[in-house]
Amino acid sequence: MTDQLTAGLMALVLSFSLLSGCSSSDAGSASTAHPAGVQPSFTFQSSYDLSSQSPDSPPSTQAEALPSPDFDTPVQLPQLPSYTGDAYIAVNGNIPYFDPTGLSSVSFEYYSPRDPLGRCGTAYACVGPDSLPTEERGSIGQVKPTGWHTVKYDCVDGKYLYNRCHLIGYQLTGENANEDNLITGTRSLNIDGMLPFENLVADYIKETGNHVVYRVTPIFEEDNLLANGVLMEGYSLEDEGAGICYCVYAYNAQPGVEIDYSTGESRASSPSCLQVSLQVQADSLEQKQIDYILNTNSKKFHIPTCSSVEQMNEQNKQAYTGSREDLIAQGYSPCGRCHP
Amino acid sequence: MIAIVCVDDKGGMTFNGRRQSQDRILRARLMEQFAPHSLWMNQYSAGQFEPSYAHRLHVSEDFLEQAGRGTVCFVENCPLHPYQNKLEKIVLFRWNRVYPADTWLDLSLDEEGWHLVNCQEFSGSSHKTITQEVYEK
Repeated sequence: MTDQLTAGLMALVLSFSLLSGCSSSDAGSASTAHPAGVQPSFTFQSSYDLSSQSPDSPPSTQAEALPSPDFDTPVQLPQLPSYTGDAYIAVNGNIPYFDPTGLSSVSFEYYSPRDPLGRCGTAYACVGPDSLPTEERGSIGQVKPTGWHTVKYDCVDGKYLYNRCHLIGYQLTGENANEDNLITGTRSLNIDGMLPFENLVADYIKETGNHVVYRVTPIFEEDNLLANGVLMEGYSLEDEGAGICYCVYAYNAQPGVEIDYSTGESRASSPSCLQVSLQVQADSLEQKQIDYILNTNSKKFHIPTCSSVEQMNEQNKQAYTGSREDLIAQGYSPCGRCHP
Repeated sequence: MIAIVCVDDKGGMTFNGRRQSQDRILRARLMEQFAPHSLWMNQYSAGQFEPSYAHRLHVSEDFLEQAGRGTVCFVENCPLHPYQNKLEKIVLFRWNRVYPADTWLDLSLDEEGWHLVNCQEFSGSSHKTITQEVYEK
């Protein structure tokens, strides 16, 4: 496991001018031109103001600025369209805002300290083979990030609206219950928005042995406790972005549920989506230690007597004792056959 | 034409002009299964094959146009729908993972009359389980 760097080093790392590109002869149709323009301000930490944006504006794929290059200097995203069901959208032409020039292929991790409201800031890392975890993830149920509510809806995969979302996924750095790396995120943000990029990077590193610069920034509006979304950026170093190069905004939203981002409170916004009663939630939470069988490949969990367990490939089968909530927070979904 | 395609759980193939994933054991399996035939592909795809396989690769940017009966094509970033009338067989590799995607396999296998005739699982070098499916009409 790599050491965490100090904030001072982070400032140094981010002090390069933001002139990165994703050009590569092996990158197919990927853009090789670096966009240019004028970029208004946005703070990495937490105070990106979404209120001035037009929700009807189309997504911009043009970088409108090359902001000045230190950690505290604001960088603003282009206007973002309102959530329409897509878990993520490309921004800045899918080119990261950071400049990898000068970064060597040495793994590091940096997690911004939480702000006075307790909110996470940017998590930034150079991820490589030596940073990948060597053991299964532990429980993170004790962490309550800002905006956290234990609430369930029957229209949400796994029922729980909120997951504890790692900014830098456990499968990349092995950071388990680091509170500077966990935000409250919807199931959709966690599974549909962030996990695909974590998988992309993790499998690329395992296959190539290369390093990926990986940065995730939660975007909070004013003093909201719940992030509107996260900016995710990735760039593979050794092949200069030929393998990995993206810059996306992932929405912290959930189809069928209306969310108050100032507090994290929510309500069903569709007649077909019902909130599960609080009593059921309380009963569920009391069931802390239950035996399950996990399919580590499909990420489903089952009761031990489920017929699916017999059909499961032995190498994917794993016994687990613990809470249902923890399993869901780890990215597992309940089996559709045995409904654990 | 026999088309070889790799997809994620949602049928995705590439994101931002880059393949979703790759696996050296999958490549070795391809070279073994289709020996002694050449694999046809474009330059982008050829870039992931080890130099030792170079003599088995037929590299051209319009390989799908050129391909005839029995030609084995490895397709990563090209639409297949325009060539559906030439397709004799589809060899589909599933990563059993979800990756970001902005291009997807543009064939509806069920709706277009393709039938699964073979299915095998194997472990890759960086993928726990890869599923190989063979479809014929």
